[in-house]
Amino acid sequence: MRTKLFFSEAFRSLSGNISTTVAATLTVLIGMFLLGMFIALGSWVLSWSDQVEGQLEVRVFFEQDATPNQINRVGDQLVALPQAESIAFVSSADALDRMEQEFPELVANLSSNPLPDAFEIKPGSASDVEVIAAALEPVPPGVESVTFPREVTERVREVASVIEFVFLAAAVILLIASTILIANTIRLSIFARRREIEVMKLVGASNWFVRGPFMLEGLICGLLGSISAIVLLFLGREFALPKLIPPAIGGDSGVSAWSFELVALIILGVGLLLGAAGAGITLRRFLRV
Amino acid sequence: MQDSIETSQAVLRPPDQAGVAEPPGESPGSQTPMIVFDDVTKVYEPSVVALEGASFTIETGEFAFLVGASGSGKSTLLRLILKELEPTSGRVIVGGRELGRLKKKLIPKLRRNVGCVFQDYKLLPRHTAYENVAYALKVQGIPRREIRQRVPEVLSMVGLAKKMSSFPTELSGGEQQRVSVARAVVNGPPLLICDEPTGNLDPDTSVGIMQLLYRINMLGTTVLMATHDREMVDKMRRRVIALERGQVVRDERRGGYRAIEE
Ligand SMILES: Nc1ncnc2c1ncn2[C@@H]1O[C@H](COP(=O)(O)OP(=O)(O)OP(=O)(O)O)[C@@H](O)[C@H]1O
Ligand SMILES: [Mg+2]
Repeated sequence: MRTKLFFSEAFRSLSGNISTTVAATLTVLIGMFLLGMFIALGSWVLSWSDQVEGQLEVRVFFEQDATPNQINRVGDQLVALPQAESIAFVSSADALDRMEQEFPELVANLSSNPLPDAFEIKPGSASDVEVIAAALEPVPPGVESVTFPREVTERVREVASVIEFVFLAAAVILLIASTILIANTIRLSIFARRREIEVMKLVGASNWFVRGPFMLEGLICGLLGSISAIVLLFLGREFALPKLIPPAIGGDSGVSAWSFELVALIILGVGLLLGAAGAGITLRRFLRV
Repeated sequence: MQDSIETSQAVLRPPDQAGVAEPPGESPGSQTPMIVFDDVTKVYEPSVVALEGASFTIETGEFAFLVGASGSGKSTLLRLILKELEPTSGRVIVGGRELGRLKKKLIPKLRRNVGCVFQDYKLLPRHTAYENVAYALKVQGIPRREIRQRVPEVLSMVGLAKKMSSFPTELSGGEQQRVSVARAVVNGPPLLICDEPTGNLDPDTSVGIMQLLYRINMLGTTVLMATHDREMVDKMRRRVIALERGQVVRDERRGGYRAIEE
C-alpha cells in the first residue's frame, strides 16, 4: 500500500515538471547508449586480441639448402628456451600439403615445391614472442628468416584503445551529467512542493514517508533512460550493425562481444544506480526533514 | 439537497490514549496534564515578541478556548504544541514529554497524536478531499481496508459526503476547513488543537462542527481551540484562556469571550 502511494506521488510530480524530467531522462539515455557501445566494443576488442594472441607464432624459415644438422641445432636451441610452449617442425612437404588444402588452385601449376622447412613456435604468452625472436638473433646458419606478427596486433590494439578511451570518457562525463540532472529534477520538484512537504510533515509523515516518492522519482528517471538506451542499442545491433560490418568479420569464429543480455543488464543496473545517487544527493542536501 | 452534518455517535472513536497521554512510569491516580506551558516566550526574528512568559496547564480531557485579538499569539501558541516552532525560552510539555528534549525521530509520532485543524487549512493541493483525509491515516500505516471505511465516515460527519473526490481548489473556504477538521479527527488523536475551525462557516455549519468537537471531547479527547467566535464561547461556558499581545491575561474555568466587567 505504501509502495502504491509512493508510485502515485512520484508520477504526480514527474508529470508536474515534465521538461526537467525529459532533460534528465534524455541525458541518461545518451550516457547509457555510449556506455553500451563502450562495453560492446571493449569486450569485442578484448575477445579479438585474446584470439590473436592465441594464434601468435614465431616462425623460423630455413634456406632451401639447409642441412639436417643445422635444423637440429636450431631445434635444440629452441627446446632450451623456457618461453617456448610448443615447437612444431613443418617440413616443406607438410607445408605444401597444408597449402594444397587451403588454396588448391595455387598449388595446381607448381613444378617444384617452393616452400621451405620451418619451425612454428607458440609462446607461453604474447609478450614472449619477442624474447623468442631475440634468442634467434643473429639468425643462426641455415636460417633464412624469423617472422613474428608483432606490428599488426599492436596497431589494432592502439587504435582500439584510443576509440575505447573516447567512448569511456564520453560515457563517464554523460553519466555524471545525468546524475546531476536527476538531482536537479528532484530539487526542482522538492522546491515546487515544499509547502506540500511541510503539510505532510505536520500531519505526522516520517522522513522516509516524505522522501520515498522523491527517491522513486530518481529511480524512474534512471530506469526510463536506461530502457530507451537498451531499445536503441538493440535496434542498432539488429539493423545498423550488419550494414556497417561485413558478415565475414561480424560472424567471425571465436571473436565476440559480451552477450546483449549482459550489456542490457549492466545498463539497467547503472541507470538505477544513477537515479538513486541523484536522488540521494538532493535529498541529503535539500530535504533535511 | 445539501449535506447535513451527521450526528451519529458510532463513527467517532475514543482516542488511543496509549499515545501521547500516557508517559511511562506514571503513578496511578494522578493524571498527567495534557499540555503544560511553563514561562514560554517566542520571539520571531528579529524582534517580534509573539508570546511572552505564557504559563498554563490543560488537563487531559479538558475542553479549552484560546481567545484574543488578531495578532495576539494564538496560532504561535498552537504551533509550539506541534513542535512546528521552538520556543525562544521556557518549556512546552505535551502528554508528559518535554518537546525541547523530544528526539527528532519522534516528532512524526507526536504529530500523529495531536490532530490539528490549521487556520489556513493546509490541505494537499494535488489530492482530493478523500485523499487528504486518508493521508493522515496512511502516514501511520493504517491498513487500506480500514482507511476505505473510516474516511467516508468522517467526511460525512463534517457534511462532505458528496465532495469526497473534489480537489481543494474546487471547494469553498468553509468546505476546505471541514476537510481539515475531518483530517484532524480521523485517527482519534488524544489531543485536538483547532485554529479557528469555524472561522469560515455559516452559523448552522459552525454549530455542527462545534457539536462534533464537543462529542469528540466527551469521548476523552482533550480539545484546545483558538477562536474569535464570541457567541460560541459565551454559550459553551468552558475554560477560556485569553491572550493579549502575547501574554496570558485571563484564565477562567467557566469563562466567556470577554471578562465579566465589574
Ligand atoms: N513567521 C513569522 N515571522 C514573524 N512574525 C510572525 C510570524 N508569524 C506570526 N508573526 C507575528 O507574531 C504575532 C502573533 O501572530 P499569531 O499568528 O500567533 O497571531 P494570532 O493570534 O493567531 O492572530 P489571528 O487571530 O489573526 O490568527 C503577530 O504580531 C504576527 O505578526
Ligand atoms: Mg492565528
